[in-house]
Amino acid sequence: MGPEGSSITSSSGSSSSCSAAARAPDHHHHHQIDQLLAGAGYSVRSSQLHQVAHRLECLESVMVHNQNIPTHLPLQYHLANDVVHYNPSDLSSWVDNLLSELHQLQPGSSASSSGLPPCPGNYESTGWSPSEFHAPPPPRNGNGNESENQQPQEALSHVLHQMDQEDSSIQLVHVLISCAESVQCGNLPLAGSLIADLQALLTRVNTACGIGKVAGYFIDALSRRIFTAVPPGAASFMSCWASEDEILYHHFYEAAPYLKFAHFTANQAILEAFQGHDCVHVVDFNLMQGLQWPALIQALALRPGGPPLLRLTGIGPPSPDGRDSLCVIGLRLAGLARSVNVKFAFRGVAASRLEDVKPWMLEADPNEAVAVNSILQLHKLLGPDQVHGSSSVEQVLAWIRGLNPKIVTIVEQEASHNQAEFLDRFTEALYYYSTMFDSLEACSNRADNVLAEIYMQKEICNIVCCEDSARVERHEPLAKWKARLKGAGFKPLYLGSNAFKQASMLLTLFSAEGFCIEESEGCLTLGWHSRPLIAASAWQPVSD
Amino acid sequence: MAGSNEINASESKRVVPLNTWILISNFKLAYNMLRRPDGTFNRELAEFLDRKVPANTIPVDGVYSFDVVDRATSLLNRVYRPAPENEDQWGKIELEKPLSTTEAVPVIVFFHGGSFTHSSANSAIYDTLCRRLVSICKAVVVSVNYRRSPEYRYPCAYDDGWAALKWAHSRPWLRSGKDLKVHTYLAGDSSGGNIVHHVAVRAAESGVEVLGNILLQPLFGGQERTESEKRLDGKYFVKIQDRDWYWRAFLPEGEDRDHPACNIFGPRGRSLEGLNFPKSLVLVPGLDLVQDWQLAYVEGLKRSGKEAKLLHFKDATIGFFFLPNNDYFYTLMEEITSFIHSNC
Repeated sequence: MGPEGSSITSSSGSSSSCSAAARAPDHHHHHQIDQLLAGAGYSVRSSQLHQVAHRLECLESVMVHNQNIPTHLPLQYHLANDVVHYNPSDLSSWVDNLLSELHQLQPGSSASSSGLPPCPGNYESTGWSPSEFHAPPPPRNGNGNESENQQPQEALSHVLHQMDQEDSSIQLVHVLISCAESVQCGNLPLAGSLIADLQALLTRVNTACGIGKVAGYFIDALSRRIFTAVPPGAASFMSCWASEDEILYHHFYEAAPYLKFAHFTANQAILEAFQGHDCVHVVDFNLMQGLQWPALIQALALRPGGPPLLRLTGIGPPSPDGRDSLCVIGLRLAGLARSVNVKFAFRGVAASRLEDVKPWMLEADPNEAVAVNSILQLHKLLGPDQVHGSSSVEQVLAWIRGLNPKIVTIVEQEASHNQAEFLDRFTEALYYYSTMFDSLEACSNRADNVLAEIYMQKEICNIVCCEDSARVERHEPLAKWKARLKGAGFKPLYLGSNAFKQASMLLTLFSAEGFCIEESEGCLTLGWHSRPLIAASAWQPVSD
Repeated sequence: MAGSNEINASESKRVVPLNTWILISNFKLAYNMLRRPDGTFNRELAEFLDRKVPANTIPVDGVYSFDVVDRATSLLNRVYRPAPENEDQWGKIELEKPLSTTEAVPVIVFFHGGSFTHSSANSAIYDTLCRRLVSICKAVVVSVNYRRSPEYRYPCAYDDGWAALKWAHSRPWLRSGKDLKVHTYLAGDSSGGNIVHHVAVRAAESGVEVLGNILLQPLFGGQERTESEKRLDGKYFVKIQDRDWYWRAFLPEGEDRDHPACNIFGPRGRSLEGLNFPKSLVLVPGLDLVQDWQLAYVEGLKRSGKEAKLLHFKDATIGFFFLPNNDYFYTLMEEITSFIHSNC
C-alpha cells in the first residue's frame, strides 16, 4: 500500500505567476476519498475521478443531443421527475444511476438490469458490464445525413456505445492498477482473480491498438509475476530472450525514430568534440550491431583537413555460441572505414555486465581524444549491488572520468521506472509504454512493428516481473541523471543548435506526425505528442 | 451558438483541476434539471440534491460555527468564529463578551452565491468556504440565509441582506477593538456579490458603517450582449440562456435586464455620487462569461470616485475558489486578508 497521509494538496502559492492549472496529483492516494470534494459534500475516490468526469461528459452529451429534438420531452424533465435519486453524495453512483435511466429509455434494452456487475473479491466496481446492455451498433446512414437528422434513439445509442468502449478502456486501466497494487501488498490470490477480470475486459476492447494492445502486454507481465514458480530475483527469469536480442534490437531500430535519434545526436556531438584531433577513440558501451558507427565514420571521412585515426572499442555481452560476434562487427566496420580511407582500429571487450568492465581493458592512450558513448546502458548500473561501499554507477562514472574523455554522450529513456514502490513503477511504465506503442503504431512499417513491440515487451517484463539485480531496466529521468553526473564531477556540454536542427530534419523523414524534439538546457529530447520519451545529453569532466 | 459539446468539455477540463471540473460540472448538470422552461423551479429536488452540513460548536480545524435566528425576520444567520485558545471553552457559544477588547476583528457578512436561486448558508461548499475565510483571513464570518427566487423576487434578497447587516451591527458579541464597534465588511460570490453592492448602498444611505465590499465574480448584467458573453457562451460551464433564466426569476415580472438591480451603472442605475460608499475589492475570473459586466462595474465605481481594486485572474473559471487546489485561491485569500486588515 502507498503511505497513508493527506489527500491531494498544494502548497500555499507564493509564485508570482498565477495559474488555475492543476497541481500534480499524488500517485499514492488512488483509493482514498478526494478530500477537497469531501469538503464540498461529495464522496468520490481519487481513482474514480476520471471515470466520474467521463460519465458527466456523456450525460451532458446525451442531454445536448436530446435538446435538438423538439418532439420529445426534455430529458431533464424525465430525470427530474420520473427518476428516483439515491444518495447525491455518492456522486459516482448518482451519475451512473442517471445514465442507466437514460439507457433504459432506449428501445430494446434489457429493462431488468441495473448496470452493476457483481463485485469480485475486494474490488469495488462502479462500472457497468456492457454485455448486459445490448446496445445496437452505431447507425449506418446510407444517404449521408448529418447526425442531427438521426432518430433520437439512434443518436442516444451511438453515444452510449462509444461510451461503452471508452468505459471498458478506463476500467482496464483502473483494474490493471488495482492488480498491481494487490501485487505490491502481497495479496496474490486477489491479484490472480483480477487477472481473470482483466482477461475478460480485454475481450471488450480493441486489442489491435491503443490501450487495449499495451494493456495486453502488462497483463501478460503481471501474470508471469503472479503465477510463475520462479522467484522474481532469479537471473534466469529472462534468459529465454538473450539470443534473440540482436534481432529485436534491429527491428526496434528500423520501426521508430528513437534509436536513430539517439545515434544521430550522439554522433553530431562526438564529431564536434573531435574537431582538431588527429587520434580519436570512441568507447561504445553497447556495440550491438554497430549501427551507430557507419555514419560517424563517413562524417569523419568528409572532415575538412582529412579524417583522424579512429579507434573504436565496442563493449558487448559474450556470444552464447562461442562466436566472437564483437569481432565480426568490428571487421565489417573496418571494411567500411577502409572504403572511405579512414584509418581504423577496432577492439572488442566482452563483458556480460557493464560493471565488469575495467578501464585498463580499454587501453586508452593519453594522446588521443576519447569519446564515451552510452546509449540506453547507464540505467542498468542502478541496481542494488555495491562494491567497497560505492554503487556500480558511481564506480563506472569514476573510471569514465579517469579516462579524461573529450565528451561523454548519454542517451536514456525519459521515464521514472526506478521508484521504490512497485505500484509507482508499474503505473509510470503503463503510461510510458502506452505512449511508446502509440508512436510505434503511427510509424507505418508493419513488418518491423511486431518485433519492435516484443523488444519493448522485454523491457516491460523486466520492470514488472523482476527485482533486485535481475531488474536492469531502471530508467530514470534526465533531471536525475543531470544531478548524478554533476555529482560525479561532470559538467554539461551543450548540444548545439546544429544538433537540434539536424534532429528535427531527421524527424521529417518519418511519415508519422506527432514526434517532437525539444531542447532544454543543452539536452535534446524526442517525444510523442509532448510526452518526452528519450533524452540525449553530452558531458565532459570538470577540470580539477 | 455555442461551440460543440466535446470541445467545450475538453476546453474547460484543461483549465481546472479534475476535481474542480467534476464539482462544477455536477452543479451544472443538477441545475439543468432544476430549472423549468416556464420559469418555475424544482425546489424540492434542489433541496434534496444540495449537500448541506449542520453547524458545529466543536471546533474543526480551528473554526466553530453556530446558527442564530433573527427573530424579527426569521432569517437564519450562521456565525463562524475561530476556536477559543482554551480547550475548556470549546462547545460554548459566547454571546456576551466582545470578540476582543484590544484589537479590531473584521466581521464579514457573507452572502452565498447561486444566482439568487440555488444554495443556502448551510450548503457544504459555502460552509467550507466560510470556514476557510475565518482561518486563512483571520475574520469572523456571518453567513446569511437570504430568501431566494423565483419564490421571492427582488427586492427580498436585498431586504434580507440589509436586515442581516443591521443585526450584525447590533450584536455586542461581534464588537471588537478599543473603540468596541463591529468592524463590518460585506462579501459575496455571484448573486451574493450583487447583494453586497445593494446592501452597501442602503447602508451608505442610512449612515450604517461598512468598512469594505468584497465581490467575488459578482452577478451583474444588462440587455446588451457584451463581447465576453458572446465569446464565452457555453465554453466554461455557463450559457447565456441560463443567466437569462435566473434574471427572469429574480427581477420583477415584466422587467428586463437593464433594471437597476442587474445593470448597476446602466441607463436606469442609481448614482453613487455623494454617498459614503465603502472601498471595494472585485474579483473577475477571466473565463467568466459576464466579466464585461463585472469590469464595467469596477469602472463605474472608479468614475463615481469610489475606491475599487480589481483582481482580474486570466484563466480562472467561475467557482475556482471552492477548492484550494490552485494558485488563484491562495492569491485571493491573501488579497482578502490584506483588504480587511488594512484599516486595523
